[in-house]
Amino acid sequence: MIDRLRSMISDVEADFIDIRYEIKTETRIGFAGREIRNVGSNRTDGYVIRVGKNGGFSSATVTREEDVPRGLELAVEGAETIVATGGKKSVLASVPVVIENVKLVLDGDPREICIDDKIELLRRYNDLMLEQPLIETTNLNYVEIGREKHYVNSEGTAVSEEILTTNIAGEVIAKRDNLVQNIRVAIGGADGYNRLLSREDVFVKRAEIAAQLLDAEPVKGGTYNVVLSPMLAGVFTHEAFGHFSEADIIEDNPSLREKMSLGEQLGSDEITIIADSTMPGQIGYYAYDDEGVAVRPVTLMDRGVLTGRLHSRRTASAFGEPVSGHTVAEDMRFEPIVRMGTIYIKPGELTLDDLLAELGDGLYLIDGKGGQTSGENFTFGAQYGFKVKDGRVGSMIRDINIMGNLFTTLQNIEAIGNDMELSERGGCGKGQLNIKSALGSPHILIRNMVVGGA
Amino acid sequence: MKKLLDIAARVSDQAEVFSIRNDSGSLDMRNGKPSDMSASIQSGYALRILKDGRIGTAYTKNLLNRNELVSNALDSLKGSVNAGFSFPEPSEIPESWLPDESVSSMGFHDLHSRTSKVLNYLNGKVDGQIDVTSGRGIQDMAIMNTSGLDFSRKSSFMYIFTSLLYPNSETAVRKIFQSRKAVDFPESELDGLVNLYVSGFPEVDILTGRMKVVFTPDTIYTILWRLAAAASGKSFYNRVSPLQNRREDKVLSDKFTLYGDPTDPLEVDQHFIDDEGVPAKKHVIFEKGIFKNLVLNLDYAEKLKEEPTGTGYRGGMWGGETVALSPVPSLVCKRIAPGDISFEDMVRSIDRGVIVMGVLGAHSGNILNGDFSVGLNPGFYVENGEIKGRVKDGMVSGNVYDVLNNIESVENRLHDSYAGGMYPSILLDDVSVAAK
Repeated sequence: MIDRLRSMISDVEADFIDIRYEIKTETRIGFAGREIRNVGSNRTDGYVIRVGKNGGFSSATVTREEDVPRGLELAVEGAETIVATGGKKSVLASVPVVIENVKLVLDGDPREICIDDKIELLRRYNDLMLEQPLIETTNLNYVEIGREKHYVNSEGTAVSEEILTTNIAGEVIAKRDNLVQNIRVAIGGADGYNRLLSREDVFVKRAEIAAQLLDAEPVKGGTYNVVLSPMLAGVFTHEAFGHFSEADIIEDNPSLREKMSLGEQLGSDEITIIADSTMPGQIGYYAYDDEGVAVRPVTLMDRGVLTGRLHSRRTASAFGEPVSGHTVAEDMRFEPIVRMGTIYIKPGELTLDDLLAELGDGLYLIDGKGGQTSGENFTFGAQYGFKVKDGRVGSMIRDINIMGNLFTTLQNIEAIGNDMELSERGGCGKGQLNIKSALGSPHILIRNMVVGGA
Repeated sequence: MKKLLDIAARVSDQAEVFSIRNDSGSLDMRNGKPSDMSASIQSGYALRILKDGRIGTAYTKNLLNRNELVSNALDSLKGSVNAGFSFPEPSEIPESWLPDESVSSMGFHDLHSRTSKVLNYLNGKVDGQIDVTSGRGIQDMAIMNTSGLDFSRKSSFMYIFTSLLYPNSETAVRKIFQSRKAVDFPESELDGLVNLYVSGFPEVDILTGRMKVVFTPDTIYTILWRLAAAASGKSFYNRVSPLQNRREDKVLSDKFTLYGDPTDPLEVDQHFIDDEGVPAKKHVIFEKGIFKNLVLNLDYAEKLKEEPTGTGYRGGMWGGETVALSPVPSLVCKRIAPGDISFEDMVRSIDRGVIVMGVLGAHSGNILNGDFSVGLNPGFYVENGEIKGRVKDGMVSGNVYDVLNNIESVENRLHDSYAGGMYPSILLDDVSVAAK
């Protein structure tokens, strides 16, 4: 395949060309309640082309091989138009030429497991949730996605890498009269099928929480001091800070770029944030990004000081900072953009009890329910939580969403726990879905968060 | 397609092939300069087969091996997914409009020219950064089944999306303009956007409390997502809809009427058939607050013993690859019926309240139960009928079945929304607003 890709781009007149060919395989099984709703395995492919010419940079994606020449023409036309219209000049940071074929390492290859076994595993977890009191229904899916990627550029780099993620995820729904409450559940990873086995306790626990939510009260809107659970603190790290560390987010906004200068003390002394997609077994693990650059760990914030940023070759050059290998696409339908992979807060020294004691009065909020960011503003939802009075956990609350400003909130992080948890399933939308966006954290204590509620 | 359908028909009771091809391009101009130009030529094929009351599905983007696709659909049958419906027979479908030549022939230079006109017009009118994104596309969609349906449709679209950013932030007021033809962003719409932008100065602190809240056309999707989830045949079939057993009940204010109408001549994506081959028409969900109809695809229509509603589409909340997604109940081309007051008079009628101009986190929370809690991004604070500025760190929360029973007024005009659909602004009374 590598030789075919080389020949496809060999005659194009440009300063830089790369082409990525991907074969994507998917196996999906879905239950809604006790009913199986979806079973299927599919395979498809496509090409992504990028061209740099006279400082202009443009891309094209095509499905069929016969459309590759047209895609190359369009990418060249785009690059030339950017130059002709006074657009942004792009220079790619220099990187070593790499020729490598990265093989998958799995603890149990899901492709060798028959579909019937996968259905039965999913059915068992699904039934377990449905058997719990007050559970009305479920939506539970098995998803297995493989990407076989072949990348070639005009500088001589040729990288092939295969990645494969599996997960079982969905929601469990409890109902009493007209009140409906749901809780998300997810297990999975990028290191093989065996991670999915013997996880019954997870599903039972999630169903119990959904049922308990029927008796929880909606949180009252206002400003609170909060302790966030590891998964919720991970969502904060990803949504509020992580996206702002992606160079392409701030690249064309001069005022925000100024605010995010390396060396600035943006957070409290307590907080250190790391992006590391090199940890084997994590959902965010990969060796090379989608422009053939080896990924490396980056300390983004060290004791509150901004120390690093996530880059593509183009943004690394524009910022005068080192490349990091974080240019990733969802699949062969998309040009790669800067993505964070695995991001987490470094653990501190306090236990959860210490944090709650320090909190005094406030809220203990648990597990993420989606988040969104726009520049320095962010929101994220908590799946459930508890009131805290004098450091003691009290009654359960629901319908919790938090909003904040990144810069204010980073300064308001007061204490970091000594535990640590990383997510087992990704799924970040930034124009395209990144199923390998892992996040995590210890428990953390933040002052003065706006919480929306009844 | 015909060859694929013939192969599938030989091994099944019924078969359907859906195909789509998109040829599109886009241009981003950030801070006044072209920053990204990209092109996309994407195709795809989806196959559904029915056999012995079960359904099998398969898809590929690149139809290299028809037999492999049919084999994948047959393997999918082994999952024993029940399906009692039949693929529809052909019906009388009005002629669709043809793609406009001005879009078919549109290149990057044309996109740049129309986008630059927006920037030139706005130059000097706002203090902050101006970002403009534009795009064009031609789409071919076809659907063919063993009941004799053989339908294809070709369409064109272009859009220009303008964002006026507040200083030192990414918070912005935004407006989309869409058309089937290559045209310029109307200057009157840009003037309106500038006026709103200027109203957003300065940034103000407000107190937490209950007050009036306006959801504008670009933020009303926060509410519609909750109603759509509840009206879906899937929620009814699984007995988790808050609207269960409430048909023909008055559940919302009589000022609220919600429907979908793909046949609306004003609709850029006007069409007369859904993604399953069922004729699409105006479909009313709430009429003057009364819950009238479910949103169904063929599958849930059969399961609930209802008539198909022409609302089966291959899509999801987060988009996704069209051919990879099975048709699900989806209300598209949504409309909220207009009221009788101008936006300006609506604002003047507010003693204390917030205008929700943009939201963060509409997807968070208990959607099925109707709960929402969204960040203002931005939200304008109104006191004694005047906009005082944009709210610093505020959230609006509630339950749609509560707040839509407290509608004070509905704007007398519909606007295109960048989230899809055409809506008026809606003024609600007594909504919870949290602030720092």
